[in-house]
Amino acid sequence: MFEMNRRTFLKVSGGATAAAIAAPSVLSAMEQDLGGKDFSPETMAERQAIPINCHFCNIQDGAIAFVENGRIVKLEGNPEHVSTRGRLCAKGNSGMWYTYDPDRILYPLKRVGARGEGKWKRITWDEALAEVAQKLDAAIKEDPNSISLKYGRNRSGGVIDRFMNTLGSATVINHTSVCESSKKIGMEPTWGPDIETPDFANTKYILNFGSNIMEAAYFHNPYSQRLVEGTAENQAKLVTFDVRLSNTAGRSDEWIPVFPGTDGAVALALGHVILREDLQDTDFIDTWCNVSTAQLKAHYKQYTPEWASKLSGVPAETIERIAREFALTKPATTYTYRGPAKHLYGSYNEKATMMLSIMTGNVEKRGGYCMPRGMGWPQPQPEPPKPKHGSDMAHPHEYPLAGHKVSHLLPLFIAEGRQKVNVHISYQDNPVYTNPGAQAYWGKLYKDEKLIPYYISMSPFMGEETALADIILPDAPYLERWEPESMPNSLWPWLGIRQPVIKSLGESRENRIMMRDIIWKMDPDGKRGMKKYWNFKDGEDYMRQHFDNIPGLKEAGGLDFLKKHGVWPIYGKLNPRTGKISDKTGREIQAEFGLHEKEVSAADMAGATVDGKGTIHKNGKAIGVRRKGKNYSGFGTGDRLINVRVDKWAEYGFNPMPTFKQIPWHKDMQADEMILTTYKVNIHKQSRSSAVKWLAEIMHSNPVWMNTEKGAELGIKTGDLVRIESSVGHMVTKAYVFEGIHPKVVAIPTAFGHWEYGRLATLKLKEKAAGEFGGQDDADLNNVWWEDKGVHPNAIIPTVVDPIGGSQGWYDTVVKVTKAGPTDKYGDVEGSWEKHLAAAKETMRYAYNGDLHRKMHPEMAAWGGPGSVKKSEGGGH
Amino acid sequence: MTTTLDEIENTETELSSDELVAECKARANIYRLLSGAFLEEPTLDYLNAIRSPTVMASLKEMGVNFGEDFTATPIEKLQDELACEFAVLFVVAGGCPAVESVRLLGRYQQQPCFEIRDIYRKAGFKVSAARFAVFEDQLGVQLAFLAEMLDRAALALATGDEHGYMLITKEIKRFWALHPGKWVRGYATLLARATDYSFYREMAKLLGSFAQWELDLLGVKVDDLDGGKLKVPKAEIEYEYDPKEPVCNTCEKTDGEDDEEALKKIDISLIQARLEGRK
Repeated sequence: MFEMNRRTFLKVSGGATAAAIAAPSVLSAMEQDLGGKDFSPETMAERQAIPINCHFCNIQDGAIAFVENGRIVKLEGNPEHVSTRGRLCAKGNSGMWYTYDPDRILYPLKRVGARGEGKWKRITWDEALAEVAQKLDAAIKEDPNSISLKYGRNRSGGVIDRFMNTLGSATVINHTSVCESSKKIGMEPTWGPDIETPDFANTKYILNFGSNIMEAAYFHNPYSQRLVEGTAENQAKLVTFDVRLSNTAGRSDEWIPVFPGTDGAVALALGHVILREDLQDTDFIDTWCNVSTAQLKAHYKQYTPEWASKLSGVPAETIERIAREFALTKPATTYTYRGPAKHLYGSYNEKATMMLSIMTGNVEKRGGYCMPRGMGWPQPQPEPPKPKHGSDMAHPHEYPLAGHKVSHLLPLFIAEGRQKVNVHISYQDNPVYTNPGAQAYWGKLYKDEKLIPYYISMSPFMGEETALADIILPDAPYLERWEPESMPNSLWPWLGIRQPVIKSLGESRENRIMMRDIIWKMDPDGKRGMKKYWNFKDGEDYMRQHFDNIPGLKEAGGLDFLKKHGVWPIYGKLNPRTGKISDKTGREIQAEFGLHEKEVSAADMAGATVDGKGTIHKNGKAIGVRRKGKNYSGFGTGDRLINVRVDKWAEYGFNPMPTFKQIPWHKDMQADEMILTTYKVNIHKQSRSSAVKWLAEIMHSNPVWMNTEKGAELGIKTGDLVRIESSVGHMVTKAYVFEGIHPKVVAIPTAFGHWEYGRLATLKLKEKAAGEFGGQDDADLNNVWWEDKGVHPNAIIPTVVDPIGGSQGWYDTVVKVTKAGPTDKYGDVEGSWEKHLAAAKETMRYAYNGDLHRKMHPEMAAWGGPGSVKKSEGGGH
Repeated sequence: MTTTLDEIENTETELSSDELVAECKARANIYRLLSGAFLEEPTLDYLNAIRSPTVMASLKEMGVNFGEDFTATPIEKLQDELACEFAVLFVVAGGCPAVESVRLLGRYQQQPCFEIRDIYRKAGFKVSAARFAVFEDQLGVQLAFLAEMLDRAALALATGDEHGYMLITKEIKRFWALHPGKWVRGYATLLARATDYSFYREMAKLLGSFAQWELDLLGVKVDDLDGGKLKVPKAEIEYEYDPKEPVCNTCEKTDGEDDEEALKKIDISLIQARLEGRK
């Protein structure tokens, strides 16, 4: 008989551990698997897995859609994707709700009531295309540029430009100026690319200026993964300058609250300390920059910590300490996003911050501040030529340096008749909600048939802009369309696709198809010479023309490879132990660094010339730079050097060297005035996610953050109604009072307070008029337990334009905050069209040819004025 | 309550074969009439047919009372107005799409759509677009399917194929029990209240009454899950916490207030109710 008791078990167990480990293991927990497979919990049948690149927002995570019986039932990360490594954020996990949204538009709709009244008639595609073609034809006869197209998120891979070029119109308006254009313009003339790719995982020190990396920054999924690796595994120090305690600031080693718009001053002062104490990388500066270390030292002398402290509120001793830490820790990197850039002089701020990585020689180093890595793809041939005439509305002459346009000045330009618009088209763009002025400004523009006689919205949803359209062409949400992709969201370049996971619902058509169909309607027999540019059978055929002949990918299988894997190349396997991509030997794959130090080949050097600066020229192009006797590819600038001094800026009377300009209206703020800033949260994007059920349940309202000290001073506590007044309007919302925000700042997240976008976003199911029959239409809406949809602040934010980069100054609005009065109601929002117009005109006074430009740049006294500027070719940057 | 197959099979009728054939055809016609109202915007032919004196008279006899907005409006204008109303009710965001997946599951193209596609396929049908593409579980398509099945039933009877008739009738019963029976009656009450036009109001009422009559006739007992309720009673919603509670006020207390006093101010009745409910 066996002795079966606890004592013997323990004894045997103690002795048998090794044998137990050695015993063969045949069971493994499925939840430990890395993904890529999924099973029906009912039938245990494997679900169909279709790899895509997510396009819920614009991070472009690698994802897999699982389909069961024709339904998209689940989305998760693609473990083969080098950037996101199998992780997908909350937004990406919710993507199928777009497809199945019961408020989705599935058929072409024609307005039958007054604009914005909400009366529609369903029409066939034939009828819709005939009407649209007729309107476009009429507009072309008058002036092709009277057709304007404004896009928000354009990942079509060139289709929109092809469409507008085919029509002959240059009036293509993007959204970049309300996004991050001054960051781009702060960087591009300095080193070429419009963005940096910091190596967070291998760094030792991160100076983060105004970016909520872990939650909402561009590339927050891949970056937050690497940031956690850097801080947790590599013990990197993270220092965040931000006006509020964002989720990134809260997870930083130090959060340093900074007065809005003064990050540039802090960065210059940090540079001052580094150069004063000789902590710079002299060799890097003298080798790769267009100014010497001595010149830089002389220039930075003026930017003392005491000077910056007065402007920013950051103690001078903190600036001194951080400067030494940053310069003495290797490798280190800076990172920025909207915090420094979305101001009147955001380009200067961006330039000042990137200088810290440059002067310390952290550029293109492992653990440092690297250039983005991306891949391109060829366009289907033939391509239409560019329009004959440029559009002054798309590229306003007042902003010659704003290479990413100034889209948010459109209402002013149209209202003042700068360029006639006969037909306006919007694609994935909701300026009536997302732009400064929102409904008060853009809403009025879109509603006015005199200003916009005919408005076509290409949209799957009844957003605030689409509700004002004359005709709606039902676009397909991202899980139902083809698109080429490549995003520099890690240090490994990749190509990818979006492919339809299921057949598009109803009569939705992806935009390349609807644009093709419009052109085919206009030129049915090809005699007008338009049809030949739209020579493809379907979306897949178009993708084949992009992808089937790319060297490397072609050998791997071209589009068929991408259809199977979603991404190319596959760098290695996701290691379940580390969560990182490993090569065949089990080691983590390593990125390539020092891209600027790649040598120009002997073949390329044949016939090349080298100028006095060392720039290597061939066939009229700069192809590299000679340094220390070697021919390097250098940086993406005109002379292949880092342009610390941007001569082009000086041509227009801007300071070519790193500098800072205080926002004039921030100088003399009264004690009761504050700055209103906005921000984005991790589970929402700016406008298009409040109708997504899972996300709306997690977060659906947006009280205004206010500092405890300020709350006590004003007698305001959490939950109180407050009235916020700016120069262009006012709003009434609830307060959230705590210590995690600068005392002179109030902050409101966007994505809430919709008045269109379906029943969930608007909570109209709770209202009598619309809700009584609408509320029951959607079974899920029965579970809506919240009554508060939030309040959207953009109507009280005036237009501000960075005269260099063209960005909207989102964080420059001065407001007065008081306890709400007896007549104030939660959700009140009021803005004035006239005041918004006046604000837009006012901000143009800072343009290079405006009357305030010279006053803002006394250091450029020698500039010859607007008349001295050489006439540029115009017609497109 | 759900229907059992026994209940379906035990339905009896006392009509003669010829009478049954006539009844099947009549029922098929009503299904088609209703399908025409809800499948897509009414055509001129459809409206002219309904406004013909014969049809109007027979509809009136059934209790259908169209208002003057239907009877006295010029036909082209009527068609235009009804097309707009169709869009408001069934197409535009904020309406109430006549689609089973949406009614019962809150989103397009869910399980009912695929189940129904399978039922159609087994019966030898596939759905193709009329003027517009349409989901398999759309109301008009479901009604059209039932009309087709009744035609087959009538044909089977007329050719003496009683077994075939029984099988088809069983399929019709099964379909009602699994799909339209679950949502059409409640939805009809909702539509009748939602619309501004007597055409849709009367057609919705006819739909509701006819659905109930059909279910009785077929002996199918199935609960309407749609209900067409205006609002969900608050008591049916379980809160994890009180949504009216300000975000963080419960943490705040006035100077000198101790924790016990502060706790007394927190309304825990909802939590208690929830806990008691679990017991």
